[in-house]
Amino acid sequence: MAVDTSMPVLIVDDYKTMLRIIRNLLKQIGFENVDEASDGTEAFEKMKKQRYGLVISDWNMEPMTGYELLKKVRADEAVKSTPFIMVTAESKTENVVAAKKAGVNNYIVKPFNAGTLKAKMTAVLGDF
Amino acid sequence: MAAADVAQRFRDSLADLKASDLKDAQVMDVLKLAQQLTDTMQIFFSSLDKSICGEFAYIADYIARTRDEISKLRPNDIKEQRIPSAGKELEAVVGDTERATETIMSEAETILGADASDPDAYKAQVDEAMMRIIESCSFQDLSGQRVSKVVDSLKHVEKRVTRFAQAMGVHDANADDDEVLEEERRKKLHLNGPAIGGPEHDQGSIDELFESDLDQNSIDALFD
Repeated sequence: MAVDTSMPVLIVDDYKTMLRIIRNLLKQIGFENVDEASDGTEAFEKMKKQRYGLVISDWNMEPMTGYELLKKVRADEAVKSTPFIMVTAESKTENVVAAKKAGVNNYIVKPFNAGTLKAKMTAVLGDF
Repeated sequence: MAAADVAQRFRDSLADLKASDLKDAQVMDVLKLAQQLTDTMQIFFSSLDKSICGEFAYIADYIARTRDEISKLRPNDIKEQRIPSAGKELEAVVGDTERATETIMSEAETILGADASDPDAYKAQVDEAMMRIIESCSFQDLSGQRVSKVVDSLKHVEKRVTRFAQAMGVHDANADDDEVLEEERRKKLHLNGPAIGGPEHDQGSIDELFESDLDQNSIDALFD
């Protein structure tokens, strides 16, 4: 079954420009129902109020990092099954392994392009 | 200088220091006082023992040299001029970059949303947008110059501090508690930041790592 591209996607980054870039890339690949949060705390509050079909999060944010958000999401029964993609400049092996261990569904290193984003979303959600 | 004169200068300095604020005594004031104290004691002890007199002369010289090195460090210039100036330059770089990015993003979004049904009008619109994007890229020249000024300031500060540390034989003290806690937090949360010269692993390497079946021992070894 094809992915419903009208599903809500939550993008999390503390840089407005990056939020705008990801929003534009998502629009280009067919996802227009996009919500934004500027750090893990705001994202988790939004996730408790609304169900999202996908979370795309940066790692390095304050006060709650993307890594902490991921662990918090995976520990919460209500939202633990939400697909989660990390999009970050953190490219060390330890970061990838830590994210994988914490339950991330895929990992994109910045800078990235629409093709990479689409490929990873397809890997996580299925064809769309 | 007569012992009575030196003693009087010592009393005067001590009175000045008490009158200012002993809790916030300036290093130079304390050094001045220490030098006068050793001068006073030197005169006193010289009448008792010549070897003690030599020791005090050495201490007095050392204090004088310390004052001289602190003056050469020019800490007020670093604190009031160099560092604030570098901070303003970096803030300007961030501002210039944000404005250029805003322009480029807006123009790109305009082109993506433009009506392409009339090819001539569409091309004119794209050309205009492209020119504005090219113009906004001039921020790179300004940013480059600003960053060069910051690098020069940092090199200047580094040179002075290095000279001071070498002259005084300074050894690093342990980091304070706040710094240690912040360092531990960053390590625990794997906050490494972008690598210099591009990502440490490109997307292909990360995909391989992500898709590999790392066993628990291999994972644990990475965190030891």
